[in-house]
Amino acid sequence: MINSLPPGFIMFIGAFLIPFLPKLGRQVYMIFLVILSAFSLFNGFGTHLIINVLDYDFIINHSDNLSLPFAIVFHIAAFITIIYGSHKDDWKENLAVISYAGAAIAALHAGDLFTLFFWWEATAFTSVFLILGGNTSRAYRAAFRYIVIQVGSGMFLLAGAVLFLHSNGNALLGQMSIDDTSGLLIFLAFGIKAAFPFLNGWLQDTYPEASEVGTVALSSFTTKLAIYALARSFAGTDILIYIGALMTFFPIFFAVIENDLRRVLAYSLNNQLGFMVVAVGIGTELAINGAVAHAFAHIIYKGLLFMSMGAVLYRVGTCKASELGGLFKYMPITAVCSIIGAISISAFPLFSGFVAKSLIMSSLGYEGLSFIYFMLLFASAGVLHHSGIKIPFFAFFAHESGHKPKEAPLNMIVAMAIGSALCILIGVFPSIFYQILPYSVDYQPYDFSHVLSQLQLLTFAAFAFICLWHFKIYPPELNSTVLNSDWFYRRMFPAVISNLVNGLKILNEKFSLNCFKSFNSIKNFFHDIMFENKVIDREAGFDTQIVLQIFGIIVFILIFLHIS
Amino acid sequence: MMFFTKLIKNFGKINSIVLFICIILLLLEFVGHRHGEFEIENFLFFPALFGYISCIVIFKVGVALRSIFMRDEDYYD
Repeated sequence: MINSLPPGFIMFIGAFLIPFLPKLGRQVYMIFLVILSAFSLFNGFGTHLIINVLDYDFIINHSDNLSLPFAIVFHIAAFITIIYGSHKDDWKENLAVISYAGAAIAALHAGDLFTLFFWWEATAFTSVFLILGGNTSRAYRAAFRYIVIQVGSGMFLLAGAVLFLHSNGNALLGQMSIDDTSGLLIFLAFGIKAAFPFLNGWLQDTYPEASEVGTVALSSFTTKLAIYALARSFAGTDILIYIGALMTFFPIFFAVIENDLRRVLAYSLNNQLGFMVVAVGIGTELAINGAVAHAFAHIIYKGLLFMSMGAVLYRVGTCKASELGGLFKYMPITAVCSIIGAISISAFPLFSGFVAKSLIMSSLGYEGLSFIYFMLLFASAGVLHHSGIKIPFFAFFAHESGHKPKEAPLNMIVAMAIGSALCILIGVFPSIFYQILPYSVDYQPYDFSHVLSQLQLLTFAAFAFICLWHFKIYPPELNSTVLNSDWFYRRMFPAVISNLVNGLKILNEKFSLNCFKSFNSIKNFFHDIMFENKVIDREAGFDTQIVLQIFGIIVFILIFLHIS
Repeated sequence: MMFFTKLIKNFGKINSIVLFICIILLLLEFVGHRHGEFEIENFLFFPALFGYISCIVIFKVGVALRSIFMRDEDYYD
């Protein structure tokens, strides 16, 4: 029975012992849970556990060639995050990290929509504590918005699952279509978590508000779980190509003007998700391999970049480009790790981003999607600009900020070193990396033409930045807020609703006043003809008025009945 | 030699190194055959031009967007 439990389940359940353990024991225990969970990955492909409840089969543990690479990298990410956060004595954060990672890993092994829904919501409820861990009033407000949106995504998934079950007689998690309502609802649920255009505001709004450890954990699981779900159910759905292309395109401009470097990384995350979504939309074996490879590599290098910025935040107390600079002298190891992450995300040859992104670009070439191809090529130059250069340059070089922090704690350095090593190993030995991808790969990323093209693209983009900076054309970073799609629900909708309520209030007041005036004038009219003009030549009191009013109501009802 | 000393002095050491790498990458076009996924990529120095122009465009658009999307730091507070 224990062998049949899904990987991650032991982490999710085991997390509830964490509050009762001392700090050191807690760290060892968490790593033990991750290793124990990872052992379940050796169970092999197939369905390992089905539980029948009320005549419905919940497929709790199903493993195949698509879930395995995601499960491997989720375990690696959990392991690195635990090491990265081990300097802190915060059992709440530890509990949130391990249960969140466990829920995400278990979600990968769900074989039906209702089991997926359970873990989908579990990731939402566990991860919100990581944002609360930011421990600021902004973080509390962001956490509230986060949970509303994440649970909202779950509601779409549940509604879609119910409709799917109703129309198909089962709720198996397999290939779906957006042509029917259930598929569309599920697509929307996945799209919210994958940060589709205009549904992405929560990502840039909330991730940078979490603690330095929380952001690293958040960047690894939720969005990649959504990519996995899209690859599982909507591979080859054409619209994803265009959605993904937009996702790669727009965030780069916002990342350029954003001042908070962790928020820049959140925009960059969105841009990278776009590459994966495009690949899922293409849906060929090469493209799905590309999406999975990119998700795998991305979790590691993005985690590395978030770790380096987290170390800066931990030591300096801010991640704003306008308040940073010149930290290389004081945090050289962190800077080197950040640069390795930056080089990886930019997809320089010999680093992980290159061997992953190449699969996606080649699949676009094979399908003849030239416009999308050049959009993604443009976005690649953008990635270099905002993640490859902006992040390390403004934090560790640029101008002297006056901060003289100590190097990051040892545990952070170890975590970053593991991330850096993986970025290089994947880049140098792509054939080993390709072996864990869903489909067998006959692809060679390192040929003269491909390497030269990529080097020219990136080096000249870097040279353009150097020219802009050297000739003082590049404007200084400013303390600011950059409006994103979260503006719609943080400003526009509240303003519209408030104005609507105020308008209705004014309308109601005017209506009441007019009614009152009309009623008074009718009353005065009757009063005049009855008393002042002596039409009724006898005393008439209040009871007479009542009788007249009842008479009037009866007449009104009769007229109304007659008309209807 | 004078030229290089002057260049390094005016343009900075790292910037000059990047410039030299750029020149070497352009010269490599004549050493082996470079081809792309699409016909237009076979144009001489295409990736270099594309990378340089893209970065300038991203910068220009980003700066233009500042006036539209940039607000005070406490805008939402």
